Amino acid sequence: MTKEETLTSFLIETQARSYRLAYSVLRSREEALDAVQTAVCRALERQDSLRDPGAVKTWFTRILMNACNDTLRQRGRVVPFPEEGPELGREDPEPADDSLTRRVDALPAEVGTVIKLRFYEELTLKEIGEVTGQNISTVKSRLYAGLKKLRVAMEGAEI
Amino acid sequence: MNEFQNAKEEYDNTPIPAELSERVRAGIQEGRARHRARRGRIIRRWGATAACFAVLLAGLNLSPTIARAAAEVPVLGGLFQVLTFVDYDKTEDGIHYDVTVPQVEAEGNLAEKVNAVIQEKVDAHLAKARQDWDDYREAFFATGGTEEEWADREMDVIVDYEIKSQSETRVSFVVTFAEGWVASMQERYYYNLDLSENRDLTLRDYLGEDWVNICNASIQKQIDASVDEEGFTFFFTPEMGGFTTVDETTGFYIREDGTVVVCFPEYSIAAGAAGMPEFPIA
Repeated sequence: MTKEETLTSFLIETQARSYRLAYSVLRSREEALDAVQTAVCRALERQDSLRDPGAVKTWFTRILMNACNDTLRQRGRVVPFPEEGPELGREDPEPADDSLTRRVDALPAEVGTVIKLRFYEELTLKEIGEVTGQNISTVKSRLYAGLKKLRVAMEGAEI
Repeated sequence: MNEFQNAKEEYDNTPIPAELSERVRAGIQEGRARHRARRGRIIRRWGATAACFAVLLAGLNLSPTIARAAAEVPVLGGLFQVLTFVDYDKTEDGIHYDVTVPQVEAEGNLAEKVNAVIQEKVDAHLAKARQDWDDYREAFFATGGTEEEWADREMDVIVDYEIKSQSETRVSFVVTFAEGWVASMQERYYYNLDLSENRDLTLRDYLGEDWVNICNASIQKQIDASVDEEGFTFFFTPEMGGFTTVDETTGFYIREDGTVVVCFPEYSIAAGAAGMPEFPIA
């Protein structure tokens, strides 16, 4: 398989994971779909920058997170279109107010991202560092700060 | 940890929209095309440089063999030349410019007019790109972005052209403007010129008085044929703002084999995933 074919099948196989991650950041079905499409397109366009095919997961996750962050920044200057109709709510479930999901969402973006990548996506601290472009001690301190804010008892949990 | 397990479960059970695979496929298609375009541009630029040298050589009136070889360079021949006028590839203030502007050289004022129109479009495009980028940067910092995060951000601005076909007196070429960062947009302008008659060519010139009906019938047939077994097509229905008819503003180019190809902008008659739909008119 050529590099392009390998990358293409990776993108297809992991599409559900990509969508989940984008959705957890954006909490909007349409924006998450857009972000995934943009990231997939960019990944293929810039495939020459993937030097180590073994690192494809962190390489692509980084592109995807950048696409999501771009969308978040864009929101700042775009008035959100009011969502109407019974259809829209179906795939935009709102987490319960006091649930952990909601509290993770309420964290500052850079802390929330670390928590999501670690516990939802089960990336290692090293991988998270590669995705977010931070060194491992920054990742660690953000993770602990996040956990402290969430006031989650972590007995026996592996970090 | 129970709470985390619940949160993870909730995460893992995020409903996946049915059109996700369609959107991923569209992203793959577009990304591949852009990757190829990136490579293609580099090759084409060398071609254009070679052509410029060939002009000099031919002008020096060298042996007939060399003159013939020069005539085979695709951008040369007949009463006119299409030359690369501006060609630069640079990064400035976070904008990566890849600009190749064509210029038509020929007797008569048509070439001059065409060049002026192209230059005007190039200027407007570059100005808009800079404005978009400034707006984006402003919003980025206003919403808490840091210098460090901004550092590796870049926007691509591309101007490029492609000669679709040419004969002794006629040339058909397309100029592409693209801007890419969060989303991407692409615009194409089509030029079909007759330099001996000093005028723009129209679909009527190629297809005759009945050109509207000929185009519409052929396009509708191709749209109908695009519907797959599941009844899916990228094309919008006329009620949704899809294709109804061609008119004087419809873009087209002429292929090497003489076929007329009618083109529509992105999103105009089909979902973005279809790119810029093109229809060869039989």
